[in-house]
Amino acid sequence: MTAVGVKSEREVVEAVREAREAKQPFDIVAGGTKHAFGRPQALSERTLDVARLRGIQSYEPEELILTVLPGTKLTEIELALSERGQRLGFEPPDSAALFGSNGISTIGGAVSADTSGSVRVRHGGARDSLLGLRGVNGFGAAFKAGGRVVKNVTGFDIPKLMCGAFGTLCVLTELTFRVFPRASQSATLMLRDVAPAEGFQALRRIWSSPLEATGLAYVAPLAIPELLGDIGKGAALFRVEGEAEPLKEKVQMLRSALGARDVKDVALGDAAFARLSAAALFATTAHDVWRVGVPPSEAARAAESIGTELWYGDLAGGVLWFGFEPDNAASIAKLRAAVARANGHATLVRAGLPTRKRVAVFPQETPERAALTKGIKAAFDPLSLFNPGRMYEGV
Amino acid sequence: MELPKPDPQIVARRKDIVAALKRIVPDGVVSDAAGLSAYDGDAITAYRQAPLVCVLPRDKEQVSAILKFASDAGVPIVPRGAGTSLSGGALPRADGILLGLSRMNRILEIDFENACVTAEPGVTNLSVTRAVEGRGYYYAPDPSSQIACTIGGNVAENSGGLHCLKYGLTTNNLLGVEIALADGTRLKLGGKSAGAGGIDVLGVVAGSEGLLGVVVEAILRIRPKPPVTRTLLAAFKSVPAAGQCVADIIAAGIVPAAMEFMDRRCVAAVEAHSAPGYPRDAEGLLLIDADGLKAEVDDAIGRIGEIARQNGAEVREALDENERTKFWAGRKAAFPAMGRLAPDMLCMDGTIPRKALPQVLIRMSEMARQYALGFCNVFHAGDGNLHPLIIFDVMRPGELERAEAFGADILKLCVEMGGVLTGEHGVGIEKRDLMPAMFDEEDLAQQQRLKCAFDVQGLFNPGKVFPTLSACVEQGHMHVKAGRIPFPNLPRF
Repeated sequence: MTAVGVKSEREVVEAVREAREAKQPFDIVAGGTKHAFGRPQALSERTLDVARLRGIQSYEPEELILTVLPGTKLTEIELALSERGQRLGFEPPDSAALFGSNGISTIGGAVSADTSGSVRVRHGGARDSLLGLRGVNGFGAAFKAGGRVVKNVTGFDIPKLMCGAFGTLCVLTELTFRVFPRASQSATLMLRDVAPAEGFQALRRIWSSPLEATGLAYVAPLAIPELLGDIGKGAALFRVEGEAEPLKEKVQMLRSALGARDVKDVALGDAAFARLSAAALFATTAHDVWRVGVPPSEAARAAESIGTELWYGDLAGGVLWFGFEPDNAASIAKLRAAVARANGHATLVRAGLPTRKRVAVFPQETPERAALTKGIKAAFDPLSLFNPGRMYEGV
Repeated sequence: MELPKPDPQIVARRKDIVAALKRIVPDGVVSDAAGLSAYDGDAITAYRQAPLVCVLPRDKEQVSAILKFASDAGVPIVPRGAGTSLSGGALPRADGILLGLSRMNRILEIDFENACVTAEPGVTNLSVTRAVEGRGYYYAPDPSSQIACTIGGNVAENSGGLHCLKYGLTTNNLLGVEIALADGTRLKLGGKSAGAGGIDVLGVVAGSEGLLGVVVEAILRIRPKPPVTRTLLAAFKSVPAAGQCVADIIAAGIVPAAMEFMDRRCVAAVEAHSAPGYPRDAEGLLLIDADGLKAEVDDAIGRIGEIARQNGAEVREALDENERTKFWAGRKAAFPAMGRLAPDMLCMDGTIPRKALPQVLIRMSEMARQYALGFCNVFHAGDGNLHPLIIFDVMRPGELERAEAFGADILKLCVEMGGVLTGEHGVGIEKRDLMPAMFDEEDLAQQQRLKCAFDVQGLFNPGKVFPTLSACVEQGHMHVKAGRIPFPNLPRF
């Protein structure tokens, strides 16, 4: 195992050109927290370590624009932004706890794995925040795409392709984001002791209201009892944000929309959403962790038919997280059936090697779509130098 | 701008091509000269070219069959919605099939549970909102041509509008598409669930200007209508002061629903045209909307007013819904209003970092003096998207050339200040040859390789977006001849 460390885009170009010459692919790592996320790779002999390609290049709070190098730690970015009352719209969580890693997640890893927090329900995912990038493609050429302004339609929107591509298309060398103002206060209300169908229905109603909620989750009884206590059949969590007076109005409207049911304030609302965002409840368990995307209206039915105890739904039901006993074929079969029925998709976020070898880790593609995916891979990395096989066979 | 040279071998096969298309869409082939003249361009009047033939499919199966035929026969395809492109995106080719999607205009599903609408590509932008407003919803992207422009065109151009500062461009409101690829194969990308997993191909299809495939269905996010909207009119003694006010509002963490700028000349034209009641003595005017819940909007309007006054503005609020509508109607009519006063105009579409607004406004005035041409400024100030209108008279020798040089200098200035060539109109044929001002060879090579992954024969909209090898220096602009403004009654940008 050889690790090549790079400190500049020029060094990345050199490393890629060497890899081309030697026909030796490499894995791209920075914080290393998501190393176990993805298909078990052919285990490249070589690693390209971009952790030292780090730092905030420019941050202009008055422009709401941030440019960083990919190895920059999320903690550093969050600190810089919060000092100016701002945040990343997709609030990527640190993945270290979930994967039992000692590292600290970086922004390049967050974009590549398309991780995002509960606030995504309001501001969208990494794709909606990433305005421009620089990178090095498999031809050994540095290129840029997108721009540094919020409104831009010049050329193809390549930055979106990189969100969730798991480093299979290029080595990122610079990222520019739009950032968002963060209200000074938040409040979380909990609808207690509701079954999934009723809970998700209430969540969707608030999602489709002008409250602009920044957290809409349904939590099964066993998910985060340390923060929520006894929640009976389960609980729906609603978070809203604002300055003092506007927030008061939102809380009042939220209460009246939820009616006279068992609604209470949750003092630890932000902590609860942080835990859900990072899927940190699985940190101390040995479960296989699945993330499932479904139309929100299908969330309750999908969860009930999968029928596991440790689960929750975020983004008003658009995303469901499940913990299964390791390598449990029966649970996986139920999950696949539920996903197919709901016209959704499933990703195996965490599992041991045998499971990741045996089952499709990423959403399964039709042959036509797989051909297009391979074509896109070849457009960026025809020799398959970057993270080979991390997402799909040959990609 | 040089139009692509037609391939004589394709033109020679015209009769067979027309016959083949008639077999696929018996009631939807336009091949006579008079009929084709209706399709000889889009909203850029400077470029006119009748297509080889025009075909108007009724469903996605017909689209697939047309593409399969074109791919087998090696005939270029130019997709077209309503033909309202401001960059020549739908400009036909003499050796190409014009694929008109206006008859595929059904809304297929309204799903309030999942807050989305599934529409065919020929559905107009505004009719999506019309279909859901009864239940208190709307579709946020609102290009000013929204009564005519289509969803397919919006996806292809990643259209913006007045409200994208707060609610995003088309791409941020697009959940999924079904796309027909070059060989006629159809793929579904994205869907009603959050994030699709896998590589985000949907993200690159949005804004691809008809170069990657044909969208045959789109799933659009709809939003609840904000209960309260308040509108401020701020009149400034100088243009840079208005620019500074915009920068200060954004820096204060306020995201207005819309924030539009007009200069003195533009205000005068609009007042002469529709008299919305703008103050005529101001050098610069900002029209600002805040929307949301009552306390939130009250808070924002209070702070915005204060910031505007600190920048020396006189501030007044629209008294009622009637006046609000009038204020906005004036802004939306700015382009036709200018068109009545000026013999000819060029409309630019660059974006700059907001903080560069004061400086760019000063530099543009200097350039105008240097080129001895009039211009006026009207733009989406909140997101730094400029639409300077250069005024000239094509009958005066040399003025067109000076106007084009002025326009190119403005776009180059945008790039130099850290901005981009086009914020919402697209590259099309119009800004094609300016692409190297923003992207180097490697950048463009990477984009072209991506196109190849979708369209190996290069049949989708060839001659658009990417500069040809024989690039002549051209400028990014929209050329409007007096009295022949395309869609003269259509509000613009």
